[in-house]
Amino acid sequence: MKPRCPEYVKVSMDPEQVIECIRDKFGDSVREIELRDYKGGVAGNVAYRNLWLSVDRERFTDLVDALGEIDFLHFHITSGDDIGSSVQLNYHFSLFRCAGRGNRLGITLTVDVPKSDLVMPSLWERIPGIEYSEREIREMLGVDFDGLPNKALIFLPEDWNEDIKPWRRDETGPKPEDIRELS
Amino acid sequence: MAEGAKKTYQVPIGPVHVGLKEPITAWLDVDGERIVKATIRPGAIHRGIEFMARDRNPIQIIYLAERICGICSFTHIEAFVRAVEDAAKIEVPARAQYIRTLVLELERIHSHILWAGVACYTFGYDSAFHLGMILREKVMDVLEAFTGNRVNYGTGTVGGVRRDITPSVDNALREMIDFYKNEFGIFYDVVTEDPVAKARMRNVGVLSKEDAVTHCALGPTARGSGLRVDLRWSSPYEAYCDMDIKPLVPQDHTGEVYGDVFDRFLVRVLEVYQSIEIIETVMAGLPSGDLMWEPKLPKLLNYLKQADGTGWGAIEGPRGDDSHILRLTGGQDNITWWKVRAPTYANAVSWPIMFKDNELADAPLIINSVDPCISCMERMVLTDRSSGSGQIVTKNDLLKLCREKTGRVMGA
Repeated sequence: MKPRCPEYVKVSMDPEQVIECIRDKFGDSVREIELRDYKGGVAGNVAYRNLWLSVDRERFTDLVDALGEIDFLHFHITSGDDIGSSVQLNYHFSLFRCAGRGNRLGITLTVDVPKSDLVMPSLWERIPGIEYSEREIREMLGVDFDGLPNKALIFLPEDWNEDIKPWRRDETGPKPEDIRELS
Repeated sequence: MAEGAKKTYQVPIGPVHVGLKEPITAWLDVDGERIVKATIRPGAIHRGIEFMARDRNPIQIIYLAERICGICSFTHIEAFVRAVEDAAKIEVPARAQYIRTLVLELERIHSHILWAGVACYTFGYDSAFHLGMILREKVMDVLEAFTGNRVNYGTGTVGGVRRDITPSVDNALREMIDFYKNEFGIFYDVVTEDPVAKARMRNVGVLSKEDAVTHCALGPTARGSGLRVDLRWSSPYEAYCDMDIKPLVPQDHTGEVYGDVFDRFLVRVLEVYQSIEIIETVMAGLPSGDLMWEPKLPKLLNYLKQADGTGWGAIEGPRGDDSHILRLTGGQDNITWWKVRAPTYANAVSWPIMFKDNELADAPLIINSVDPCISCMERMVLTDRSSGSGQIVTKNDLLKLCREKTGRVMGA
């Protein structure tokens, strides 16, 4: 799929409408939907909102495309953790980055990637700005990205033993002898 | 590598880079003086801060987060404590929100003036550089008067701030505002009206609006390409909730967008004025009340130990959106994980586009234009791969090239 026309929309939608669109199209594939209010200022009014949800890996790119229909999906970062049988990734995006005061909607998509098949579809063709983050997750957590052209190490040194995944908590994570305490 | 009769040389710039969490090496493929391709390789001094943080509680991490960057140290702890406050559902008193905003804006003034001065130095405009350094001292004096330090202020904490604005700090701030109102205009004129400065920055390192969108550019880099993006406006936090801040874009001032180094320069210079206005608004509207949600540290730590959730703090730092995300697990003293995304992490993705078809002599200026630290160019190696010979080119040689170009522009 080609990148969406690189332009931000000028008019935003209500977060509730966005959730409704997602629920209509994705049903049970999307879970744990949470809309959080962020208050601030002297009056303590709601200043902006963020949306948090979990999605099945199989429907992840469809969801990204559906959100991309609403506005160009601005990518912030991917965070993640080793939670035992799977690696959990959180993709942090924004919609309505350019659509008026207080209208930005931060969206976090949480995906569980089973350790038996540590592969995610790459979003690089849709959002080229995601490249560094996918390379970082690949080297730190060992999740491969299908469709990412440059899979070279990014933050780890050239002579790094790639069998060690620094953020993993299982046998592939760093062992005590791999860690040099500075104090 | 050789391409037909023409030779393309690969020039690495970097890797040591003290100003950022991620140090950068830029491998430039050059055909003569023209850059045809650029590859960025960060990571030379990746310190594993996120890994270290797994053994620390949120209060201890504040002091780790503060040391990610010297210039925007408060920006990082602000993003971090907002992520903790999001995960643990903590509301910050209004007075603390205003003081946080004040420090954020002082830091922005510091960062932008330092950047503008160094940019002038890069193309050989030493008088403007020294003027910038004089101007920068004033804000550093105020930060020192307020926090006791010129960098790493130790001022923010989870649920509030640790210092109040005393009458002497208030005086220093008012004096600083008057100083900048009188003096900063000279710097603005010197740089924006000067034909040579304009010649060195216009149409150099261009990033189109479309590329800025797809490559997720941030902060002044994105605004310099004409995008109206600013988290203080699109998702206001702290005292920005009570202010109507407009993203500053070049088309509103010059009528057109080039997306070049000059536009990025212009945006930053205009933002210094904007920050001064914000500081005045903060001072005028500073509410009374508590400084912290919970001043007793053991009680706060106990509350944070019970908290369970994931939090995201995204704020507009001097260089763009700084995002921190973390997970707190109920019953654990330490955080479970923490992810930091400094603005240059995102802006560096756009560097290869900015480099393309520019001259080697412009490389320092282009690297500088997204506002990392110029010291990344500690040395570079020129390699002729067809003959296998290597030659070390120092930072000074590169700087000389950049300055000689200014000489040529001036007809000297």
